Amino acid sequence: MHISHKILNLYSVSVAVCILSAIAVLSSCRGDEVIYPTIGTHVTDEVREGGLYVLCEGNMGSNKARLDYINLEKGDYYANWYGSQNPHQLKELGDVGNDIQAYGGRLYAVINCSHKVEVMDRKARHISQIEIPNCRYMAFRGDKMYVSAYVGSVANPELLGSVFEVDTATLQITREVKVGHQPDELCILGDKLYVVNSGGYLINRHDSTVSVIDLNSFTEIEKITVGPNPQRIRPDDSGKLWVSTDNHVSILDHSTTVKHLSVKISNLSILGPVAYMVDREAHTLRAFSTIDYTELDQPIDISSFEHPYGLLATTDVLYITDAKNYVSSGVLHCFGYDGKEHWSARTGDIPGHLCRVSEAYDLYPDTASSKPTKSSPYISRVYEYVPAMGQFVNVLPKYEEGDDAASMCRKCELAIANNAGGLVCLGGWGGYITFGFDHAVENKDGYDLRILGNAFTMSGNEAYGSSEPGIVMVSRDENGNGKPDDTWYELKGSEYDNPTTVHHYTKTYTRESDTIRNPFHQQPYYPQWIKASSMTFTGSLLAPLTEQISGQNVQRILDYGYADNKPNTDYSGTSLDISWAVDADGKSVSLPTVDFICIYTAVDENYDQTGELSTELSGAIDLHVEP
Amino acid sequence: MAKRIFLILFFALVARSAFATNEAEQDSIYNRFQLSEVEVTARALEKDVIVPQTLKGAELQRLNALSVADALRYFSGVQLKDYGGVGGIKTINIRSMGSQHTAVYYNGVQLGNAQNGQVDLGRFSLDNLEEIQLFNGQKSDIFQSAREFGAAGNVYLTTRKPYFKEDEEVHVRGQMRFGSFSLANPNVGVDVKLTDALSLTLDAEYVYSDGKYPFRYRRVLPSGETAYDTTAVRQNGDVNAVRTELGLHHYYRTTGFWRVHAYNYYSERGVPGAIVNNVWRNGERLWDRNTFVQAQWQDEWFDRWSTRFLAKYANDFTHYKNYDERLLPSNNKYTQQEAYLSLANKFRVFNWWDLSLAYDYQYNALARENLLLEDGTDHFARHSHWLSAATAFNFKEYLRAQASVLMTAVNNDAPRVTPGVFFSFRPYPKIDFSLNAFYKQSYRYPTFNDLYYTDLGNASLRPELARQHSVELAYKISNHKSQISNACGYEIAASLSYYYNRVTDKIIAYPKGQQFRWTMLNLGTVKINGVDAKADFSFFLPLRWVLRTRLNYTYQKAIDVTNPSDTYYGHQIPYIPWHSGSAVLGLEWTSRRGDRYGLNYSFIYVGERYGQQENTIYNYVQPWYTHDLSLYGEWGITVRRTPHATHPLWLKANIELNNMLGQDYEVIQNYPMPKQNVRCTLAIRY
Repeated sequence: MHISHKILNLYSVSVAVCILSAIAVLSSCRGDEVIYPTIGTHVTDEVREGGLYVLCEGNMGSNKARLDYINLEKGDYYANWYGSQNPHQLKELGDVGNDIQAYGGRLYAVINCSHKVEVMDRKARHISQIEIPNCRYMAFRGDKMYVSAYVGSVANPELLGSVFEVDTATLQITREVKVGHQPDELCILGDKLYVVNSGGYLINRHDSTVSVIDLNSFTEIEKITVGPNPQRIRPDDSGKLWVSTDNHVSILDHSTTVKHLSVKISNLSILGPVAYMVDREAHTLRAFSTIDYTELDQPIDISSFEHPYGLLATTDVLYITDAKNYVSSGVLHCFGYDGKEHWSARTGDIPGHLCRVSEAYDLYPDTASSKPTKSSPYISRVYEYVPAMGQFVNVLPKYEEGDDAASMCRKCELAIANNAGGLVCLGGWGGYITFGFDHAVENKDGYDLRILGNAFTMSGNEAYGSSEPGIVMVSRDENGNGKPDDTWYELKGSEYDNPTTVHHYTKTYTRESDTIRNPFHQQPYYPQWIKASSMTFTGSLLAPLTEQISGQNVQRILDYGYADNKPNTDYSGTSLDISWAVDADGKSVSLPTVDFICIYTAVDENYDQTGELSTELSGAIDLHVEP
Repeated sequence: MAKRIFLILFFALVARSAFATNEAEQDSIYNRFQLSEVEVTARALEKDVIVPQTLKGAELQRLNALSVADALRYFSGVQLKDYGGVGGIKTINIRSMGSQHTAVYYNGVQLGNAQNGQVDLGRFSLDNLEEIQLFNGQKSDIFQSAREFGAAGNVYLTTRKPYFKEDEEVHVRGQMRFGSFSLANPNVGVDVKLTDALSLTLDAEYVYSDGKYPFRYRRVLPSGETAYDTTAVRQNGDVNAVRTELGLHHYYRTTGFWRVHAYNYYSERGVPGAIVNNVWRNGERLWDRNTFVQAQWQDEWFDRWSTRFLAKYANDFTHYKNYDERLLPSNNKYTQQEAYLSLANKFRVFNWWDLSLAYDYQYNALARENLLLEDGTDHFARHSHWLSAATAFNFKEYLRAQASVLMTAVNNDAPRVTPGVFFSFRPYPKIDFSLNAFYKQSYRYPTFNDLYYTDLGNASLRPELARQHSVELAYKISNHKSQISNACGYEIAASLSYYYNRVTDKIIAYPKGQQFRWTMLNLGTVKINGVDAKADFSFFLPLRWVLRTRLNYTYQKAIDVTNPSDTYYGHQIPYIPWHSGSAVLGLEWTSRRGDRYGLNYSFIYVGERYGQQENTIYNYVQPWYTHDLSLYGEWGITVRRTPHATHPLWLKANIELNNMLGQDYEVIQNYPMPKQNVRCTLAIRY
């Protein structure tokens, strides 16, 4: 008995040893949490132009909104593209992606449960974010973005949502209008904005209206009743609006319904004369004519899909996603209009939103194969950014702790390079920026360059408006070192020979003098990344332009030859000819090409109400290169 | 002899060691003559046909655990879902079958939540508990209510029962616990002997925590360079809770007793929510009131026939309000009522053959009110009937067997029948080595949320079916000579189980129609293969030193086998780690006077797992493991001595250090858990 005890005792000890060693051996340890990788897969040999962004929603609370990208020229699908472009983004892209659109050289994504619109460059590199609570969809017009949101900035007992207006240059909310219950998709026709009020949260008591908003007054001027739980609203080429509701599709001509299609759809994409729709009951793709609203034959078969979801009809192919069971990865399918499936790719969770762009990017831009084969007409590089003191300095672009000259140049590139459409402010007189293209700009007959800013004219009196002129200088990389350290030539504008213009003017700004601030801009006005305590500029100074008209400060618009003087819509007024170049003595020089362009603020004016005049730059275009 | 064994069994199973193990263990130095009783009780327990995992008495108090949920982490086969903090929801999942297959019993009566089918175990404090037991399959004794045969996994929580030595009239306890996150947790209890047979217990507890704990998110690039590293403080995780309990116990003759237990819990808490990009706090608030009264009466007739009657009425109220201005507001109230009656009978045909028959009835009602939409109040009700028949055989010492059938009828649905068969084979009568096996079917009925949740419910759902197959080798040995002879003694219990479970008709949310209209469907099959290994050792060393270890390891492969065309077919189901385990090591010394000092270390490991159905890198969740330490002392001061016994006043102090290495971990993705935290407890008991 004694012996058997001992044996069994041994046995149990060995069981324990086994368990302990099992824990030790089988269990793996915790390592550093590595960011989610971008995983590229070659999905097709087919070559098409540009790329396609796929915004996968991810489930609420999972923080799994994912932005995938496919390079259509190479047929490479990149899962979690955003991750590799923005590895430092705290808690990644966010919770529930709801809309994605490319506009004016930028990419915008609505991240619903992160309460933000993510602003990126075309390669999906983070520029900024706009805080909008419970935001849903976007629409664009001019330099404004409109965002629908389930809640307004102030809670209201009726649970009404809002549409926010955002200035795409400053990324600030400018106006807000209260609409119906849980506004979803929106679109703009002329100067009216149409937004569907889904009432998605009011179970069994859905809203059934479309709010019409006048964009000038930014007020709701009408409510059109369309049917319960409207969700999609898209314009066709003839300006009719296609609105999907719970049980049909209504086609509106302004506020009158011209046709009801009794089809229950989950998504809609209009391409020229055809409206493609996903019939959510029959699980089929259907096509309707936008001319006579008859159903058209279309051969694409999606009957094997579990939950057809995202849809995008493009001129060459149609993209449609299958969201599967919504809690696992979906699939993106590419079909030809002949019904043939070209390829498919696994996406993230709930691939809902597609956006085609003209750029084809690779994950590793340094590899030789991905060098751009053709030149871009837009700014590719900012070499120097030295603004003089001003009310938008340290704001456009934003200075953050730790920034230096190089990182500020990078921020300028994010704002204005590649047609990004943002704004860079040069501050008061003398402040400058130096930039270039991915090639030398040729001096041909007529205009060679356009410089974009934010000037505008008074309606009815085009001789006055907001002009903050900047003098443009050009330079050739004479020493071939790739740096703008060569001879500069001023492009001779209309005021060059004006006797009021002071040539060889000098002004010094000191950090100590940065004390007077206007109530709207309380940040430091002296560029914070510049370590020197004073900055001295030398150049030409134009006479004051500001006059008072009906109590308003306005500027006389100059004739030609300056940046940020005439509105961007004025082609010739924003264009420049390299043949205007003069040397320091005012003698005309002939430059076959230029490599660097420098712009500096040409006026020295400061007023209590409006602050100093400062040149703003929002981009530049080489007129000899096709976009 | 048979009579004696029966009595011991009765003693052990019904009055569950209150008279012996717990108090005897605590007072053993003062009353050494009680030792023999300990051994007898232990032997009786060994004869369970289904061997439970048990934590009781002093062992329960020694753990670094605040709530029942914390304690259950030390059981094998159990996965805890913990949303973090004192107030975060904590539910358990036994052997990967899903938390709704787990039934939790409070003093023998199931705790219900007809709304979501889950019991938040974080709300049950350990301070008033004497014992926690976990039975896979079902309880060992067939003398149980019909409904108890219905669940796949069973957790029994037993509150402290009064035990009075001769000359004792009253016991009082007072305790104060405080710690990190502004935890304040006073607890008082009184036991009063009204007559020799009738006693009264009172227990009251208050818990406050502001729930503000720092957490850190750090991610690195593949190169090792930091991608981001941020530390923030958890917000809106505060909790304020008051629990009061009242018990009346009446034991008469040697066979009969009745008891009444009233329970009330009130809490207000913030729901801290998921931490996602750009969202660092949430505004949801929750108020709860759980009230129940339950009564039990039990007696035995003619030495052969035992009857038990149970009745319960519960009234639970929940108010949920969302203050987050960025979300649509919500303001909902839910009132649940439950009425339950049970009659169980056991008949001993022969000494080796028992039969039991039980019938239970339950009424559940839910009133749901949306205060914002003013849609009026929705009412849902359910009538459930259970009828069980069971039998148990003991063939000498060699074989114990139990078989049961349960018929369940909910509302007017056709009744469903589920069987269960259990064996325990002991080849060597003198050695406590057994081979145990069982097969059991059980249904998990759809909850009110599954059936009627707005936008989600599906009134035609079938219940979910779990089939369990389990085999186990168990071995126990003990030698208690030490306490008498100052030599070495030991207690060892080890077991190894393998199980295969299959859950079919699994109720899952599935999207239907237009976007984000979800519905519940019987769509899902899960296949579970698991191994649980556990070993408990206690070594009684000379000079009154005791070394205790408790080791658990669980391997689970729980895969989705619903549809081979799914991308996640054959993948491990969410939040089930392949490997998990725990180790507890405790060293205790008792002075000659009976004062105790101890050091307890525990390690919990949960291995890698996935947060969603698909086992992809984007859903991968890292392992986590925590090291906890506690140090305690207990001092007895003799304040009264009578001819029969001494009556000491006990003082106890305990300090716990949890997550010593400050691991930044998440049990559920985006719900960060606390880093290092401490708790101190001071208690006085007479």
